[in-house]
Amino acid sequence: MEFKAAIGLEIHVALKTKSKMFSAAPNYFSHEPNTHVTVYDMAHPGTMPTVNAEAVRHGIRLAHALHMDIDPLLRFDRKCYFYPDSPKGFQITQQFHPLGRGGFIEIECEDGSKKTIGLKRLHLEEDACKMFHRVEDTLLDYNRAGVPLVEIVSLPELSSGREAARFVEAIRHLVVYALASDGKMEDGSLRCDVNVSIAPRESDALGTKVEIKNLNSLRNIERAIDQEILRQSELLRQGMPIEGQTRRYDEASGSTKLMRSKAEAADYRYVPEANIVPIRLSEAFIAKAIEECPELYERKRERYLKLGISAKDADVILYDVAMAQYFDKVLACGAPTKAATVLFNVEVQASLHKMGKSIVEFPLEPKRLAELASLQEQGYPHQAVVQAFHYLLEHPKSTLEEAQLALSLTPPTQDEEGVLELVRQTLDENPRSIADYKAGKDRAMGFLVGKAIQAAKGRYGPSDIAKAMKEELGKK
Amino acid sequence: MNYLDLSIKEIHAALVERKVTPLDLAKEAIRRAKDSGDNCFEIILEEQALAFASSLIEPEQDNLLWGIPYVAKDNLSTKGIPTTASSEVLSGYVPLFNATVIARLKEKKAVLIGKTTLDELAMGGMGMSGHLGKTFNPYDPTHERIIGGSSCGSATAVASGIVPFALGSDTGDSTRKPAAYGGILGVKPTWGRISRYGLIPFAPSLDAIGYFTRYSIDAAILLDALAGKDAQDASSSDAPFGHYADSCLTPLAAPRILLLDDIIEAVRDETIRQKLKEAEEALKKQGAILTHARFGEDLLAAIRPTYIILSGAEVCSLDANLDGIKFGLHGKGQTYESAMKDARTRGISSLTKRRFVLGSYSLLGEKRDALYLRALKLRRKLVTRTLELLSGQDAILTPSALTIAPKFDAAHADLSEKDKAADNHLTLANFAGLPSITLPLGYSNGMPFGVDFMGHAFEEEKLFAIAHSFEKIVGICGEYAGFRKEKHGI
Repeated sequence: MEFKAAIGLEIHVALKTKSKMFSAAPNYFSHEPNTHVTVYDMAHPGTMPTVNAEAVRHGIRLAHALHMDIDPLLRFDRKCYFYPDSPKGFQITQQFHPLGRGGFIEIECEDGSKKTIGLKRLHLEEDACKMFHRVEDTLLDYNRAGVPLVEIVSLPELSSGREAARFVEAIRHLVVYALASDGKMEDGSLRCDVNVSIAPRESDALGTKVEIKNLNSLRNIERAIDQEILRQSELLRQGMPIEGQTRRYDEASGSTKLMRSKAEAADYRYVPEANIVPIRLSEAFIAKAIEECPELYERKRERYLKLGISAKDADVILYDVAMAQYFDKVLACGAPTKAATVLFNVEVQASLHKMGKSIVEFPLEPKRLAELASLQEQGYPHQAVVQAFHYLLEHPKSTLEEAQLALSLTPPTQDEEGVLELVRQTLDENPRSIADYKAGKDRAMGFLVGKAIQAAKGRYGPSDIAKAMKEELGKK
Repeated sequence: MNYLDLSIKEIHAALVERKVTPLDLAKEAIRRAKDSGDNCFEIILEEQALAFASSLIEPEQDNLLWGIPYVAKDNLSTKGIPTTASSEVLSGYVPLFNATVIARLKEKKAVLIGKTTLDELAMGGMGMSGHLGKTFNPYDPTHERIIGGSSCGSATAVASGIVPFALGSDTGDSTRKPAAYGGILGVKPTWGRISRYGLIPFAPSLDAIGYFTRYSIDAAILLDALAGKDAQDASSSDAPFGHYADSCLTPLAAPRILLLDDIIEAVRDETIRQKLKEAEEALKKQGAILTHARFGEDLLAAIRPTYIILSGAEVCSLDANLDGIKFGLHGKGQTYESAMKDARTRGISSLTKRRFVLGSYSLLGEKRDALYLRALKLRRKLVTRTLELLSGQDAILTPSALTIAPKFDAAHADLSEKDKAADNHLTLANFAGLPSITLPLGYSNGMPFGVDFMGHAFEEEKLFAIAHSFEKIVGICGEYAGFRKEKHGI
């Protein structure tokens, strides 16, 4: 029997904001546990939530980019459960009135074709404590408690592990380029739960849903789903029923393991969050949030391709949002695209790699890199530009002119006649050296070139002079 | 006569004229607090209060609350001072912050002399479920009668003349019922009028900071001090307010007042009925335009179950933070579950647990529709009916309670089911978020009873003006247990 899989994803994205979702505690990573905590985050009685406007703006931007309907009336609910990571015994979320509904995102399939994946909802909520399980006990870090999250839920329209990974990648690009999140699965700022069901290929109905948790990399998402499809197919082939379950991916064995059956699932006893009066978002607030959204991944990539940057080069630049931001600044300074791309993707990347630094720590200002790229456009040999690049890297406070002087880089000339005339004049003034040259004294050539360069007073480039001198001497 | 027996405005005048000092007042209040045998205190803050009062030297002429002693219900967070909400589960808990109302009164340099008892976590109307046991009605030396809850300690403190005012909270009628049973004023302002930040919550959609005074002018002065937007409480309102103490002195010209007959008719006590009739006549004489209407008996019967389900649903989540891990009673056990169960088993009374179970049950699975969502619908119906009746009126008048304070062991045993249903009407103000003030109306068999005016949202100034005129009609304001004006010839 042939089966088809229906896969839906729930992605949690930790938002980059100054403070937490409902409290004034700072929201950035701290190595010191339990330092970014207010009485609210510890759920002290009588403390109350206040909504973080920055988080709402991020949510609006993401919902808009995902083509969702945005609910202008912001409402929150309590999701109740007892668990050590939940300080209040409930999480404030948007169960009944998500900020965004519907919508879709496009993913690229393996054959290069596009597939549209429908979305169910996007809502705002708060994160729980981080738990550190030890042999004897469990430690709690409240720094993470209350960090703003958006949850994006897809329809079950993905059909393979690979597609699911592509979907997560697309969401990651979106949230990272919207500057809404770091989007790092390895740090937990992007987390993913997966629902997998399979049914006979000809069936219209969906099979029983199995949830997989604890997926912390694209590779694991792909593998876990493919393994789960295999497991379920095998059960169905044997005529066994699929039980509604929550499973987790076990990296060591490369298979999914049972966590609990759905029959044991908690009832979250949702109740409206009365401490937050519904907030009417003005049209202006929504419009401004959308308007101020930074250029998103897809749009940026399209722009690069239109500028004539190869897909391969574009992907290198876009690998990291900070790199793309730097590269855009170079372009904004008027750098010619082609030269800038080569400099950036070869020299800058290699230097970063060598220095072990990230682009934000790169010593050269984008303006310098733009000037260097322009040098190449002016006809300077590539090698000269690279020399200047390295000089500036070592002397980040120097100007380009200073670099040129130090390296004796002069501009290539367009005035071939002038060069020729200068060379001829030099030869006329030094008949002795011509004789020496003919007698086989190679040093004479160096002497003559040197004289001509001196006489040129910077009007012509040394390489042009040397080239013309060689030709003219040959004629003698 | 002692200065403590006067209104805040009069005490203020005496303070400004240096006839009395904040320290004198604090000492007297603490003496009375210690003498009280009515179990109304969780803690008396003798040291702190006297130290603070001693520091108040230069009277502030424009600040009516300067140096005035008061008490606060122990579900209001006080920085550095234990706050138990009269529950064992919070024993040892010392807040790191002040509730906004406490902070505002501190800025005004009012002197907190103690924290008062309540029904555990503000759940209950009898004033008997707190961890220190029953709080008594000061008008009944035999200690058989309730003062009512949940703000029992604050009500008793004002009703026995310990302080001129006290802070409480009001989720169903927790300020106004005890005010009626104690012969004092109880104010529940509009939802959002006073910041709830730092109030240990019961049901946030119904909760309001309430307070007790003995004079209507004092009630107005207090709202001037407490009202206003607070960034820490997103539900606090920025609707304009202020000058209540001035505006209440000007009587409303021909106030329109609606009387709810189905509540009034349920009163069996002849004295209360008589006093209500007299009040009606006096109001008419003053030029009030009175209308009679019925709320609807079926709807009245829905108030209590609706309230129990909705408040239970809210409290079971809000009190889930009381897990014996982070603060308060330390739960013992090898796992999170066992420690939490231990703390909640030992720390929370069975009455309160019943509320939690009820609330949780009403939210579970298919019960959600039949109980919680149905209660939400009923709340909407009750609110619609209330607003319908209030439309075109300045206030709705009802007896605050159908009886004088009942006895602990026989609370409402003498009421029929139908009458019991009519005794929950004050909760309508919580459902609709409306302001409501209870005033003393008279005494029956030596026990006080009260009358209530409920008005439009954010129109407290009208209620204060009505209360100020009405207080003159009744002529017993300022009295407290053991201090009857006729006795003292005032």
